[in-house]
Amino acid sequence: MAAYIIRRLLGMIPTLFVITVIVFLLMHAMPGNAFEALVFNPKIKNAAEVYKRLVAENGLNQSLPVQYIHWINNLIHGNLGISSSLNMPVSEAIGTYLPNTLILAITAEIIILVISLPIGLYQANKVNGKLDVSTSFVAIFLYSIPGFVFALVLIFLFSFLEKWLPSSGTVTPGIATSGSLGDRLTHLILPALSLALPSMAYYTRLTRSNTLSVIVADFVRTARAKGLRRPRVMFRHVLRNAIIPIVTQFGFDIGGLFGGAVLIEQIFTWPGMGELSFNATINRDYPLILGTTLLFAVMVLIGNLIADILLAISDPRVRYD
Amino acid sequence: MSEPLLKVSNLKTYFISKYRTVKAVDGVDFEVQKGKVLGIVGESGSGKSMTSLSIMGLIPPPYGKIVEGEIRFEGVDLSKLSEKKMNDVRGNRISMIFQEPMSALNPVLKIGEQIDEVLIRHKRLSKSEARRKSIQLLQSVGFPRAEQIVNEYPHQLSGGMRQRAMIAMAMACEPSILIADEPTTALDVTIQAQVLDLMRDLKEHTGTAIVLITHDLGVVADMADDMIVMYGGQVVESGTADDIFNTPLHPYTNALMESIPVIDEERERLTAIPGTVPSAANFPQGCRFAERCAIAQASCHEKMPELRELQPGHLVRCDLA
Repeated sequence: MAAYIIRRLLGMIPTLFVITVIVFLLMHAMPGNAFEALVFNPKIKNAAEVYKRLVAENGLNQSLPVQYIHWINNLIHGNLGISSSLNMPVSEAIGTYLPNTLILAITAEIIILVISLPIGLYQANKVNGKLDVSTSFVAIFLYSIPGFVFALVLIFLFSFLEKWLPSSGTVTPGIATSGSLGDRLTHLILPALSLALPSMAYYTRLTRSNTLSVIVADFVRTARAKGLRRPRVMFRHVLRNAIIPIVTQFGFDIGGLFGGAVLIEQIFTWPGMGELSFNATINRDYPLILGTTLLFAVMVLIGNLIADILLAISDPRVRYD
Repeated sequence: MSEPLLKVSNLKTYFISKYRTVKAVDGVDFEVQKGKVLGIVGESGSGKSMTSLSIMGLIPPPYGKIVEGEIRFEGVDLSKLSEKKMNDVRGNRISMIFQEPMSALNPVLKIGEQIDEVLIRHKRLSKSEARRKSIQLLQSVGFPRAEQIVNEYPHQLSGGMRQRAMIAMAMACEPSILIADEPTTALDVTIQAQVLDLMRDLKEHTGTAIVLITHDLGVVADMADDMIVMYGGQVVESGTADDIFNTPLHPYTNALMESIPVIDEERERLTAIPGTVPSAANFPQGCRFAERCAIAQASCHEKMPELRELQPGHLVRCDLA
């Protein structure tokens, strides 16, 4: 297993190389650069000169291949460059913003699993009953709506109509309890819920259909023929098998959840990776764009690796060597 | 004759939906004697598997139902037992093994775990006691390295080994009846003989009665004390295996015997029975075999024959016999 993981990690390098080349080209295809706006600033006297100096300092006057090689060379030495918009090393910026996104994504994942699995399992047990049909309807309804719409609806309901929960930031500034656990949690609820709702619907459906396909399996009949009680049949025999595709899907979705957070973080002005990469793009902050994209790509690849590892853990028939 | 261990009377198991009623088992009577082997013979669709699942209370919901009849076992009618009480019987007093041991074993649980749980459920053994007993059971069904087998998964065993493990599991609580539904159909011929020998040995050691469901007359001739022949959800002939093999009375039984190859006889072709089993959703009004019967007369198509006792203990459902 260890050898497999190392091989997979090494295998990521070519993929990441291709991704960074594509991002590098697309990024430079965008009109303008980080400093062009200075030229039009009447407050700066020798704007043209300052612009020229900054472009030269940041190596933007060199050819693209040279710039790319320069970036890769720095990357190999563990240097992601300096963000021009934030005036700090890219690694430091990511270090500041990443934990917020992790908190948001992990909270969303927990909400998804804790709510979807029991609902899906319940639906499969009462298939075509009233509650199954009604919750299935709600699930499909929720699944068809993008997360940012939920974000707006949730803000309208719980921050505007009822002033129960804050709609922006991670803490309430300027109050005594600012930054306390309770304060942070109230800020977390709405964005995490917006991120979780569409996936919750999806995982509920996935759990329901997997459970239904396992429940008719021969070995479930065997389990019942052994006189095992219903909860044991359901959890040890049915769920244990039905969960295999779910944990695999879960791994795949880890990367996707980071991408999905971009919009949600914008709406809730959540200082996470989404906001960081969005602002980097708006500001043509090339090192920051490359740094955040690289991180997103690594997350997706690691998510896929986690999916494969979870599959091997949950299904003894799958072995890597 | 002493009191039978299991007495099934007028059992009717129907699948009832809005559109049609499928009479899978339609008025079946038979008895299982203590420590004896009852063979149930018939083609696919004759209702033999559904008869056994009815005894186990494992008719697939929601449409399948025992609509009439009695399954009397140890003084109680199993068809009237609550699910909870039935769970104490299944796997404990009556257990069952199935045709396809690969799909009948849970693929993600170790063999040991699957046997342990029967012992823990019915015998209230601790985990370590159950494990010790599981190893003994595996040894008794002929596993030389049972200590290792308990830690292996079903996919690591061969077909014959899996069926042995199934038998060990079914015999764990020393049931009074073992129902074996086509236990050797999915196995190689040489393995078939081993598994049958094993079942015979176990029966002799433990006194467990066996209900052997098969379409293989050779297996019945080899194993059974008594036998019933089923056709279209009904018993068409019943008696001791010797009587039926020596003097088959029903034209269907006769036709089945004709379709077995006999090694020392030179025959150009085997006799096949023309046509197929009538659909259980749409049985003819008269004798259900009439359409395929070589000696059928006009009256056969009109009136359903009764099961008559032609010789002591030898019953047949044919007016012409």
